[in-house]
Amino acid sequence: MSLGFSMALDEITLVLFTTLAPTGAMACVIMAAVLVFAPLGESERTRVNRALCIPLIVAMVGLIASATHLGSPANALYVLLGVGRSPLSNEVFCAGLFLASCGLYWLFCFTEKQYVRVQKAWCAAVALAGLVCIGAIAMAYDASTIVTWHTWHVPLNVWFSAFAGGPLLAMLGLRAARAVCLHTKASGILVAGSLIALVANVACLVMQNASLGGMWNGYGTALDLVPMYPAMIAWYAVAGLTAIGCAAWPLRGRDLPSVARLTLCCALFFAGLFVVRFGFYMMHMTYGLGV
Amino acid sequence: MTQYAFHFDATRCTGCKTCEFSCKDYKDLGLGVAYRKVYECAGGETLRDADGCFKTTCFSYPVSISCNHCDNPACTEVCPTGAMHKDEDTGLVSVDEGKCIGCGYCHMACPYNSPKVDREKGHSVKCDGCAERIAAGESPVCVEACPARALAFGTVEDMEKLGERANIAPLPEASLTTPNLFVKACADAQPSDSRAGKIVNPLEVL
Repeated sequence: MSLGFSMALDEITLVLFTTLAPTGAMACVIMAAVLVFAPLGESERTRVNRALCIPLIVAMVGLIASATHLGSPANALYVLLGVGRSPLSNEVFCAGLFLASCGLYWLFCFTEKQYVRVQKAWCAAVALAGLVCIGAIAMAYDASTIVTWHTWHVPLNVWFSAFAGGPLLAMLGLRAARAVCLHTKASGILVAGSLIALVANVACLVMQNASLGGMWNGYGTALDLVPMYPAMIAWYAVAGLTAIGCAAWPLRGRDLPSVARLTLCCALFFAGLFVVRFGFYMMHMTYGLGV
Repeated sequence: MTQYAFHFDATRCTGCKTCEFSCKDYKDLGLGVAYRKVYECAGGETLRDADGCFKTTCFSYPVSISCNHCDNPACTEVCPTGAMHKDEDTGLVSVDEGKCIGCGYCHMACPYNSPKVDREKGHSVKCDGCAERIAAGESPVCVEACPARALAFGTVEDMEKLGERANIAPLPEASLTTPNLFVKACADAQPSDSRAGKIVNPLEVL
């Protein structure tokens, strides 16, 4: 087994976390924005509120997965001591804040009387917490000693993948809620946004791959750690384009994609993203002696 | 504060790994965990010229490395809980097992491959400079065990008289974390920024 593959396999739960959490958070941001800005009827608002659990569960599965790689989760509260100093503390704190605000909002929406103004204000806070959470995840592994991760590509990859997958997952949530506001025009905008972010992310990944040959330490170059990265990027591009294409296909005939179709699209997108995230952990290399 | 430091004399080290195994024995470390490791750095080539003469640029030298208890440790910088900390009196870097969550970020960030998460114990483990031996007026066990007297330990003021701050390959540039390791380079030693040599025993050290 190659050094890079072994490293990524050890961190497989973090691969899963960074695949699911940013996309889930971005989908929550989009659905929260819909709840704030779209003119929703009473029953439609209730359905969208309930369907918010779909991206929330995706993000939560990611966070729970990341917690399983901890050796002593009982000490987890000490993580708060590093907020503002350690990028990992910032990430955990922001993710916890986002998931708590979103989860409590979802529970709050089950009240018999709907407090729309409170819901809108809360949704704005959820959207903000979601964006801050994605930003914290993007910067979590930015340590100056890790030559392959201390680059501008890494945070951009997280942001672009969230912008690429978030709209697909939000479409799934809104379709499951039978939201009237998700008409073909709104769907077209979401699909177009997803496509633009995917293309930008693939371009960013290609540039990242090109930079790996110039990064080295005592064991060799970063390219040696992840020799199949171009194939991984190609798989991500094909899976992402297919997922977005399948979601967009019914829009040609002014139909909306079904829930089943969108579920498959999201699964395909995540399968593509998982592979490049695995590649990200494979390329871990410090200056000097660490891989 | 007294900052303690190691000295490594590359002109004396034979790469016997007694330092590594005395540490494993003293700390009772299992398979796959070592606080001190010996990296074998080798490179160059042997060529036959037009006259039939063989010429070689081959080199090989061992470098014995543990935690260098850096002035700016990458491990303490990234540690989310503060479990990885630098002692105010000795400058030695160690793990507070009651705070460590075993996330492995210290391992990922250290350019000297020093901390590692022991999955059985559930927290990071690393060289603590044999703090209890130092307190008792003794040397770390690796220093005492070295048959070639290639290792030394003492205050940073004493150690810096014996060599330059860790600046040979495959170690990173000393400016990165300011390690408290001072090295007397051997004839084969390459500078830190040289790509001429590679670590040829990765399975032993990773």
